[in-house]
Amino acid sequence: MKRIALNLSIALRSLYSFKLRTSLAVLGVLLGTLSLIVVSNLTGSLVKQGEKELEKLGKNLLLVQSGTAIRFGMRTRVMSTADTLKVADIQAIKDHSPHVSMVAPTSTRTFPIRYGNILLGNTIVTGTSSSFTHVRNFQVERGRFFTDEEDEQLERGVVLGSGVARRLFGTEDPLGRHILVRRVPCQVIGVMEEKGVDLSNVDQDDQVFVPIRTFLKRFVNQEHVANIFVQTINSESMMAAKSQVEAILRDRHNLQPGQEDDFTVIDSRDLLELKTQTTSMITLLGRIAATISFLIGAMGILSIMILIVNERKEEIGIRRAVGSRRRDIVLQFLMESSFIALLGGMVGVFLGLATSLAIFYFSGLPLSISPPAIALAFCSSVLVGILAGIYPSKKATTIQPINILRS
Amino acid sequence: MPLCSLKNIRKSYSLGQEEVEILRGISLEIQEGEFVALMGPSGSGKTTLMNIIGCLDVPTTGEYIFAGQKVSGLTDDELSIFRNEHMGFVFQNFHLLPYANVLENVLLPTLYVSGKKEGAPLKRARELLKLVGLEDRERFKPSQLSGGQQQRVAIARALVNDPRLILADEPTGQLDSSTAREIMDLLQKMGHGGKTVMVITHDLATAAYAERKVHMQDGLVSG
Repeated sequence: MKRIALNLSIALRSLYSFKLRTSLAVLGVLLGTLSLIVVSNLTGSLVKQGEKELEKLGKNLLLVQSGTAIRFGMRTRVMSTADTLKVADIQAIKDHSPHVSMVAPTSTRTFPIRYGNILLGNTIVTGTSSSFTHVRNFQVERGRFFTDEEDEQLERGVVLGSGVARRLFGTEDPLGRHILVRRVPCQVIGVMEEKGVDLSNVDQDDQVFVPIRTFLKRFVNQEHVANIFVQTINSESMMAAKSQVEAILRDRHNLQPGQEDDFTVIDSRDLLELKTQTTSMITLLGRIAATISFLIGAMGILSIMILIVNERKEEIGIRRAVGSRRRDIVLQFLMESSFIALLGGMVGVFLGLATSLAIFYFSGLPLSISPPAIALAFCSSVLVGILAGIYPSKKATTIQPINILRS
Repeated sequence: MPLCSLKNIRKSYSLGQEEVEILRGISLEIQEGEFVALMGPSGSGKTTLMNIIGCLDVPTTGEYIFAGQKVSGLTDDELSIFRNEHMGFVFQNFHLLPYANVLENVLLPTLYVSGKKEGAPLKRARELLKLVGLEDRERFKPSQLSGGQQQRVAIARALVNDPRLILADEPTGQLDSSTAREIMDLLQKMGHGGKTVMVITHDLATAAYAERKVHMQDGLVSG
């Protein structure tokens, strides 16, 4: 131990005389570990974030859309429309698929809404059923959501999104007031909690909710719905539920074998796909950056070690003369190069953690620290140090004491 | 039994196409405790002979036996260990580590002591520094010392592993005559303490300290 300490203290003083080059080498390894750690933490955080968003959309959710649609990542492009998805289909899905726990239809259209003098132009009006709050994991904050009975009786109760409520009523209590939705007077019975933008890219606070039958009859005068949200009993039953829903709907829509579906069933997990792609892109770029930094660090260490070996030819000669073996010399220089790398690694890990925490703090992303990444960063930096030290230390052993000491 | 026994040692180097023979059949014996001066004009092969005796170099042909052990067949690692245990070197240019302080320089050979006999290197190094009169300079860098003081540090370093043979190549070459005397007095003191000392020099005043003078000429011992 004492020997290592003495050797290291001599080495440190020699490194100190090459301050600039040493710090460049340290910097390379530092940046490598830093980017490795930041990227790993960020990736972990984005995955967490995605899970959170999925949770926000609703757990174990299938989305049935009328007509055929092709998804481009988050966007859905309708390829053909259909008016075959009916309110009765909802009950059928609920009754005939054992994997389905709850079902809620939605249809939306934009209408002007008005309270007193305040007019909100195109506001999203969503017709849905009482199970919506549960299926979409979206709760009423004040008042209540409408009931199935109110739906059956085509009642004109309306539940406001928190943003709409704020703009129409300000600090006034909206409960019990009447607003005009497309000139139809409706009574406010509830206000939703704040939810923000979810995976469907719609600001959930910027809409109002009315019973689906009221919506179809009084607002749009049609019989078909646009979407059905289907919640399955657990995440394992998603696949089974999907094929059951497809079978039920094909049967109810009298589709013959070979005939195309007039609806599309989307697994909510697929909505995450694009996000996942983004995440893996970030991971890839980060890894590339880390690799390049490590390479720069390695080149830095390589060049500084070659310099050091040249500078210390006399020292190597002296050491050989007083009895150091070739392997002692190799070991000494490998230790020095690993030390440079480890120094960069430690500072890099520290700064990487600090940077990650700062990013999480300022972006509001969920906290995620990856211990394997820290371990990997440490190992990589030591490995870089050792690899970069091999050539210079081998070179050091070719120095013959008699050639050095004669002068 | 002599400490060093050299029989018909030859050493040649190839300079491009040409083969240059530096040592042309040297036979020499050095007894334990002797103080020997190796003299001769430059190019006569003194340093090459000293390198071979000090196990820094190996002869091309011939047999070298040190303290009853045949050195000629040893590997590079074994030679290193052999130097570490048995040889102490003092050079004309001192050859101290510039980054290390006086104490660390003296301790350097103890870093490479193999396995079993470690002893108390720090205590021994301090004793030796006292012996050469530099006990109050432990923390000094070589650059802060005079030439004579640096050579004293080198002598302490040569002695730290308690070697049987001290080899000094022009130890006074860089020093003025009064400092040179001090250094030679010190080496003589080592000799009286039972060490075998071999000094290369072409300075007669330095050679006068020796009990025996070996003259070299053209790669051969001349008398």
